[in-house]
Amino acid sequence: MSDEPAPASEPETEAGALTDAIGVWAPRGNEVRVVAGTAVVLALFPFVFSRMPVVSDLLQGYQSLATLILIWGIFALGFDLLLGYTGLLSFGHAAFWGGAAYAAGVFSQQVSGSPVLMVAAGTAFAVLLAWVLGFLSLRRGGIYFAILTLAFAQMMFYMSSSPLAFITGGENGFTGVETGELLGTFALEAELPSVVGLLLGTWLYLFVGIITLLCVALAYRILHSPYGMVFRAIRENEQRAEFVGLNVWRYRLMSFILSGLFAGIAGSLFTIHGSYVPLSSLYWTESGEIVIMTVLGGTGSLFGPMVGAGVYLYVENIVSGGHPVDFIAPFWHLILGLVFVVVIWIFPRGIWGFVRDVRDFVTGGED
Amino acid sequence: MSFHIEAITVLLNGLQQGAIYILLAVGLSIILGTLKFVNFAHGALYLIGTYAGLLLALEINLTSGLLQEWGFSELGLGLGYIPALLIVPFVVFVVGLAMERFVVEPFKDRPDTDQILVTFGLAIIVQELFRAFFGSSSLPFSQPAWAQGPPQVPFLAAIPISSWRYYVIGITAVLVLIVYLLVEFTDFGLIVRAGTRDPEMVELLGIRLSRPYIVVFGIGAALAGVAGVVGGPLNPVNPTIGNEILVPAFLTVVIGGVGSIAGAVLGGVLFGLTQAILVATYSAWAQVGLYAIAALVLLVRPQGLLGEAEVAP
Repeated sequence: MSDEPAPASEPETEAGALTDAIGVWAPRGNEVRVVAGTAVVLALFPFVFSRMPVVSDLLQGYQSLATLILIWGIFALGFDLLLGYTGLLSFGHAAFWGGAAYAAGVFSQQVSGSPVLMVAAGTAFAVLLAWVLGFLSLRRGGIYFAILTLAFAQMMFYMSSSPLAFITGGENGFTGVETGELLGTFALEAELPSVVGLLLGTWLYLFVGIITLLCVALAYRILHSPYGMVFRAIRENEQRAEFVGLNVWRYRLMSFILSGLFAGIAGSLFTIHGSYVPLSSLYWTESGEIVIMTVLGGTGSLFGPMVGAGVYLYVENIVSGGHPVDFIAPFWHLILGLVFVVVIWIFPRGIWGFVRDVRDFVTGGED
Repeated sequence: MSFHIEAITVLLNGLQQGAIYILLAVGLSIILGTLKFVNFAHGALYLIGTYAGLLLALEINLTSGLLQEWGFSELGLGLGYIPALLIVPFVVFVVGLAMERFVVEPFKDRPDTDQILVTFGLAIIVQELFRAFFGSSSLPFSQPAWAQGPPQVPFLAAIPISSWRYYVIGITAVLVLIVYLLVEFTDFGLIVRAGTRDPEMVELLGIRLSRPYIVVFGIGAALAGVAGVVGGPLNPVNPTIGNEILVPAFLTVVIGGVGSIAGAVLGGVLFGLTQAILVATYSAWAQVGLYAIAALVLLVRPQGLLGEAEVAP
């Protein structure tokens, strides 16, 4: 959907150039399979999770959590682009998530409540911010990069907590979100008609689901393009990448901006989903959460981080409420911490990698 | 209050806040400089120091947490502050040794990012353990009765600052001096510094570096423990304090220069004073100013104010 304007926005190009441009966006390799598979999973997920007779009773899932999982899934997908593929650990991604959330919220109050435009505004803000912060933070690698991103993100947090409180609402968070109807006609919280409604639930889920699908397609395309290969080359061996003539710094910056883009989309959707932006969305522990989700699910894979986001949010929202066992409820954070450490220690490829290993073991070989 | 006294008050408050940062940063810095290990669990060591100090020094009543549910609501040995100050460093030193042995050692040859991640996870575990056992509400860790008022010394008596803050500054100065002398003027320090430059050569000379390294980590941890004891009574005590102090402590190291004790001191003083002055003048900007300075220093001088360029990866 968002891809179509690209060729169209170049007016008066020759016919050949136009077919070239379309050719660039034609699916290739496994892409159709991956995107179609994702679409099927996204279509079935809310039903299985929150309305299917026996299963969802066991899971205790609900529609709103299904939507939230997709939103954090997009965030984790983008974060992994940086950590898993380019090998850069940012501790400041709350800046893009929270920044976009505020931008989308303020935009809805001041300009327009159209969900599509809100996402566009929040994302644009996050991308610009990522450009600036990436430009500054990427002067250093390794731990310095982690600390610099952390410092800049904390600066954003304290900016919105007091000096900018007249816009952001300070400690109280931003409460003036005024989300309008989707494309001017469909109320987001309304149920979809007939069978689709039974399957997907609300218009909000449909909206988030479509964007998730586009994000997965975009990430897949990036990672399987020569451009994405460079990201991996940089992670494997920076010097070698430099020696073959690649401008490592520029690719890193682009990787940072791209992951800021995904974080921005997710942050804007978070505002639409919750109609409220808490100040804590900029705090550094939020950056920690996305790190945990991504590593838990499995870095360096397309779907691992999304699975990680799902598991984390499930534990945070359902297990912490005393399901399935009461005893665990107060210790959910502790248990997540333990699992996180075990994953880094023993299964550096996370849940997704573990599942793949098991599958390979059972089927007796790679793929 | 006259302007002079107000200015001196602000400066002393800044120095005291800076002293806490310095205690944490010196430990972080020598660990990072010698072992090349990124310890995101340093705040957790501060947390352990604070709680250990509280339990040794005072008798407290728990109102929530597992211990209270199990009937251990009255805790603490009530030994007083001096014994706490003497015992806690040893406790946290031992914790540090254990951590070096079981966490740092296995992760030595893994990438920076893995080190950050595993210690970050460890910090969460420690924080949540304290939350589970002692509850998440703030515990009363008051300043000792004998250090609550201004010191009864000519001139200083007029400045409205508790003597505890002077003790914090004094203790920090003494400890940092000891560590400095240890690193610069003893055989132990010589081996550690040589190991920083060229570990392979030192090992070839027949000196095993693993033992000095584990001690360095222990010393760093003990300093964080002391910071917890002296800093505990100045702020509310709850399980999140480790998380909150970690970011400024790390920034202190980085703007001072990794591996440089003098840098950590300079960074801590700079941070403490900036914070105190901004709180007294434009309080809304106090925290932002801190991070702005850190960012600025790093952009102009990425190796830190007193760091050598070659130390950085």
